[in-house]
Amino acid sequence: MTSLIELRNATKEYRGVPAVKNVTFTLEKGEVHALLGENGAGKSTLTKMISGVVDPTAGELFIDGEPAVLTTPAEALKRGIAMVYQETSLVPSLTVAQNIYLSDNRRFHRLRGIYIAGQQFLQSLNFPVDPTAMVSALGAGQKQMVEIARAVHHDAKVIIFDEPTATLTPEEKHQFFALVERLKARGVSIIFISHALEEALAISDRITVLRDGEHVITDATANFDRESIVRAMVGRTLTDELYGAHRDRQTRPAGRKVLSVQNLSMGNMVRNTSFSVFAGQITGVFGLIGSGRTEAAKVVSGVMKRDLFHGGQVMLDGAPVRYRVPRPAVRDGILYVTEDRKAEGFFETMSIAENIHLGALAGGQTKGSSVSMAEMRNLAEHWVKALNVRAINADARVIELSGGNQQKVVIAKSLVQKPKLVIFDEPTRGVDVGAIAEIHQIINSLADQGIAVMVISSYLPEILHLSDRILVCRQGRIVEEFEGHRADEETIMYAAVH
Amino acid sequence: MPLGANLTQEKIVFALAVLLALGFALALPGFLTTQNVLNLLRSVSILGILGVAMGLVVIGRGIDLSLVALMAVSVAWMLTLVSGGMPLPLALAVALGFSLLVGALNGWLVAYAEIPAIFATLAMGTLIYGFGRYFLFSMDVAYIPEGARPILILGQSDLFGVPLPIFLFAGTCLIGHLFLRYAIPGRYLRAVGDNLPAARITGIPVRPVIVLQYVLSSGIGFLAGLITAASVDSMNTRLALSTYVYDVILVVVLGGIGLSGGKGGIRNVVVGTLLIGVLLNGMTIMDIQYTLQNVIKGGLLLAAIVIDTILNPRDEQTAQQGDI
Repeated sequence: MTSLIELRNATKEYRGVPAVKNVTFTLEKGEVHALLGENGAGKSTLTKMISGVVDPTAGELFIDGEPAVLTTPAEALKRGIAMVYQETSLVPSLTVAQNIYLSDNRRFHRLRGIYIAGQQFLQSLNFPVDPTAMVSALGAGQKQMVEIARAVHHDAKVIIFDEPTATLTPEEKHQFFALVERLKARGVSIIFISHALEEALAISDRITVLRDGEHVITDATANFDRESIVRAMVGRTLTDELYGAHRDRQTRPAGRKVLSVQNLSMGNMVRNTSFSVFAGQITGVFGLIGSGRTEAAKVVSGVMKRDLFHGGQVMLDGAPVRYRVPRPAVRDGILYVTEDRKAEGFFETMSIAENIHLGALAGGQTKGSSVSMAEMRNLAEHWVKALNVRAINADARVIELSGGNQQKVVIAKSLVQKPKLVIFDEPTRGVDVGAIAEIHQIINSLADQGIAVMVISSYLPEILHLSDRILVCRQGRIVEEFEGHRADEETIMYAAVH
Repeated sequence: MPLGANLTQEKIVFALAVLLALGFALALPGFLTTQNVLNLLRSVSILGILGVAMGLVVIGRGIDLSLVALMAVSVAWMLTLVSGGMPLPLALAVALGFSLLVGALNGWLVAYAEIPAIFATLAMGTLIYGFGRYFLFSMDVAYIPEGARPILILGQSDLFGVPLPIFLFAGTCLIGHLFLRYAIPGRYLRAVGDNLPAARITGIPVRPVIVLQYVLSSGIGFLAGLITAASVDSMNTRLALSTYVYDVILVVVLGGIGLSGGKGGIRNVVVGTLLIGVLLNGMTIMDIQYTLQNVIKGGLLLAAIVIDTILNPRDEQTAQQGDI
């Protein structure tokens, strides 16, 4: 029997560096095939060869057993292969319906016509999206629905999802899984790239694991469990260390109260919320996306513009503080480590050393009134070693590193500023499994040194693993507080959604 | 690494300048004489100094379209003041102060009022020219009066047989280079140009740095204006209405300072200036019409950008967090 899609012995090199090495991948009709691997394992590149975004350096593609050459995504779409990207490829300034019908062959559409057709079409898919709504006004989950609707509209036989659930709330995730079932029932084949192993185990029929661009294993999902996948992904077992929901070690006692927030309000996002963070322990903040957790952290650290500030008080070591910009907060020792490192974390034209050194300069931690190259080099060497940043040397540019190593540089850039309080916002987002453990270790050691640490995460195992205290954020306020060892996934999730 | 990976726009443009110079040297008899080479350098040194001013702003992810207008108006005003009997040092101080103040205003508009630099400085250029023409002086051309003759030294003297403007260009480049590399504000400027939100979160005083870059550009512009006036005995304020400021941008972009900020340094300005210098000089010797020269300049800029894009592709792959 011929497979719907077969990519045979495919290799893709970027400037002589192989991203995918001699991989054979098949997709059957109506199956959900999960593609797993660490960042940089070659998942995205592999799927891009199938969807016509990149040309393989070597290897062949067969569709229904016939050799095919796809040079553009449009060609792939004609053959029924659609890709739904991590960063959505919708046009924000057009309406939902305009986006769905955008790449039709018809040159002109009557707006009324596509709104009526769009309404019926979205209803038939059971998507609660208004076809006349501007895409820029939609949430992440709804945007994804529009992308999927567009793919279905084009009669896609194969839909490739790149990290589809990363930006979704649990409720939206359930809707997404239901949708995958429906697509499958229609005979659509799905390739599913994800970091969330539980999801892959739950919805896929087969799993392929890649490591460093090479094929490791392909098998029916029933033959895998979480541990065996992780072992295949990293070539070692980390499961207990990483995903153990309960820890054996004692929670750290609370030190002095470093940060105290009282009745903070800001726009719709933060509503009259109060919480404290103590020295020498990790305060985990769990909340769904849109619950106001990031916003509260950004107000405290001066990152959020104050236009929306509606009052409340922030106390640092017992003294009231109010920051208009991050600089005075940094100087006072409150550091915010961003959830979006590419947009606001590191400087991409600069080297690792320059990035870390800028943190020291801005934090007033350098000697002298000019830049000393020797000081910069020493600083960089120290931190590259301390945080185990894997790069050729400290002169490598940050943009060339993997997600995990980039994150370590961003963290180093903050730690050189001698913090009293570090707020980590989604510290391991887009970070590969191996680096997650290392970053968790860094965060733990900060608390052990007596620094107050706040970790914001929407990944429950991470919160449970790290936190000594857990705060749950819902609709702009902190609604519950748990002792680290008292909480379990269900109680926390219950508090977060009800 | 294949050979092409290390070819930056800077290197291409430099190679192009060398090739062009070699070609001219072989084909044009008068080209490779000491006199002509000095002439060439001297003729582009003002453009080069303005290139440094513009380069600093562009590295900080801004642009200063008021640069030439401000330089013309402040120097013309200075000459007018001296004609009216003000002592030269005082007139210089007043005009430089005015220049820096307008620069700071540009910076305030961009950093604090958050107006896009291209609009803020475009409007400022128009405003300053009109303001100068209406309130500060009445003639289009301000001639160097008797009292201001000492500044002629800037444009018309030699040192070891080399015209002074060339030294001034070299000096500006050196100071600019040291500023970007060793001064803390210089580091901050690059960081702000590279990634403004990251610079803000890191605790860099982002808005003062933006103001600083426009103050610097107007200060360096004032120096360029003085040399201009000293070279031709006058300051023609119609320069503010010409396309001269686009030549300055051409030098900067041609040299490889990306308009997206954070990329490049003073070396790029030098390389861009050299290529333009060689080209203009050669074309002048060959007696090519001014309008045709513009076609060639424009075509060259496009070619440089295209070659850079081919050699250093910024595809989705490199843009996405290194996720292969």
